[in-house]
Amino acid sequence: MRRTPILLRLATRGVLREARRSLLTASAMALGLALLMFTRSLADGGHEDWINAGVRMGSGHVVFQRPGFRESRSLDDRLSGHQTRAAVAALARLEGPLAPLYTTVRLTTNGLASSASSALPVVIEGVDPETEVAFSQAAQRLTEGRYLEPGDRLGAYVGQGVAERLGLSLGSRFVLTAQSAEGDIQGQLVRVVGVFRTGLPEVDEGLVHIPISTARSWLGVGDAATTVGAILRTSRVVPDAVQAVRSDVAEDDIRVLGWREAYPQLDAALRIDDYGDYVFLGILFAIVALAVLNTVLMAVLHRKREFAVLQALGLTPAETGLVVFTEGVLLTALAGVVGMVAGVVLTWVFFRNGLDFSAFMSEEMTFGGIVIDPVIVPDFRFVQVLQSLFSIVVVGTVASIYPAYHATRIDVGEALKFE
Amino acid sequence: MSTETLTDIAVRTEDVWKIYAQEPEDVEAVRGVSLEVRAGEFMTMAGPSGSGKTTLLNMLGGLTRPTRGRIWVGDLEITTLSSKELARLRLESIGFVFQAFNLLPVLSALENAEFSLLLRGVPAEERHRRVRALFAEIGLEGLEDRKPGKLSGGQQQRVAVARAVVGEPTLVLADEPTANLDSHTSDALLDIMERLNREHGTTFLFSTHDPRVVERARRRVSLVDGQIASDERG
Repeated sequence: MRRTPILLRLATRGVLREARRSLLTASAMALGLALLMFTRSLADGGHEDWINAGVRMGSGHVVFQRPGFRESRSLDDRLSGHQTRAAVAALARLEGPLAPLYTTVRLTTNGLASSASSALPVVIEGVDPETEVAFSQAAQRLTEGRYLEPGDRLGAYVGQGVAERLGLSLGSRFVLTAQSAEGDIQGQLVRVVGVFRTGLPEVDEGLVHIPISTARSWLGVGDAATTVGAILRTSRVVPDAVQAVRSDVAEDDIRVLGWREAYPQLDAALRIDDYGDYVFLGILFAIVALAVLNTVLMAVLHRKREFAVLQALGLTPAETGLVVFTEGVLLTALAGVVGMVAGVVLTWVFFRNGLDFSAFMSEEMTFGGIVIDPVIVPDFRFVQVLQSLFSIVVVGTVASIYPAYHATRIDVGEALKFE
Repeated sequence: MSTETLTDIAVRTEDVWKIYAQEPEDVEAVRGVSLEVRAGEFMTMAGPSGSGKTTLLNMLGGLTRPTRGRIWVGDLEITTLSSKELARLRLESIGFVFQAFNLLPVLSALENAEFSLLLRGVPAEERHRRVRALFAEIGLEGLEDRKPGKLSGGQQQRVAVARAVVGEPTLVLADEPTANLDSHTSDALLDIMERLNREHGTTFLFSTHDPRVVERARRRVSLVDGQIASDERG
């Protein structure tokens, strides 16, 4: 311990001595860290955008349903009025970062949409126009007319594909047919008030929104619903929110799903994308590790005589190794600080408003059941900065071990031979 | 049987061998050398290149382990010591002067000279006092802050000598210390080492084939093919 300042001084001067080489290596590492921070922010931001698009296309980050509804899509598997209210109340009790931004109650069933010219199988969603307008992506992708309003009783908001295939335009009437709660086939006349286009054919050609009050009375379900969902501030709080509401609504026949369970296709798509990111990060880490390994090992090989002199003067082999190891760590720390600043500047200063990839994408690119926004806003978080820094420091430190070990194994007599 | 007590002996070897495994056949660099060097001696080991001088010197300093045989520094047998114990021995009892000076380039002249004191934990004030006094003695005054690259060969070797003796070791091992110096600088350096030997009682053991060094030694051992060929005093 007494010799620590001496070893530190030797290591510091060792790094400064080969200033150009140290600077080049530190720059490579710093660039690696800056890129790591930037790409991670971008990947996190992109993923958050995709999740947000996915949950808005679906039923939210947190979804309450009866067990079996996802498979049957049948009104038999609906939440009772009491269960619906309990679910809404449980969501309303979430506080702080878990508090929902928007909550929706839906009555969803499969049915048939028929016009004078054609008929089409569709998903009919009874929605609350007031809450749904902020919740649903379909509601925000209006192309014609308007979204449903609280006063609409017979209004229908249809996908562009539905309108086209049924020959509908604003104001057109068509009939929705579905099985009621009693098992009878019931029809409901509705009128087109708005048309949307999400870019997803399966949605645009198969989704119809009508007021939930209309749907309830038409299908005879009283105040029941099939789904209660909530949009949260970020997908990162979903596990906590799900756990909180699960313990709050402890009924056996209500299932609470987080977005990963509710949208397995989206989850799988993100995991695949994550694997791609991991490969990229692996390559980045390998480059950083090799840069450190190369520089520090070269320094050891070039300075064998110097390290031999240190041992001749009384340093132990372990202390000599420690000097080399400290050089690697110092180099990594230097690169860490510079890289962190560069990463913050690159991510926050230049791209905080997002990076537009529209030049590289087709007009509407879909992935995992969602339409991808070509503008990706980096999700810049302090904890992620620290994680990136920690990762680089660990990689640099580990890469310094071998050169340090090499320095402990120097044959002093051989290294001191005059050439 | 030697009449000296163990504490009178600076370094002693008993049938020391160093064999390097090499193809097509092993190289016997040192072959069964037995030697006693008394404290305060000013002695040379001379011999042609490849005679085993440097290898023997490195073994005496604990830098290279002998293949067989035993070595004592003072009354301590060093052939059984661990790397850590050898490092401690070198720090406290042995000073080295190398042909290539081997100053640490990242340290100033003063920092180089005080290095062993620093490792021993001697306070800065005491270190600086001792190094400055030694620098004054060997004509290095005013060069304390210079890095080795800014010193001449003679100045560098004098710093190396200061580094070797500042800790008052039992033994100074000097491997061809004048080989890279001109005759004037060599003489000046030898004057310094002779004086340190005389005034401080430091034992100097030179490996050399420089006749000027051999001439000044009070004991001259010559090595041929890894063996002692002659041992003369006076």
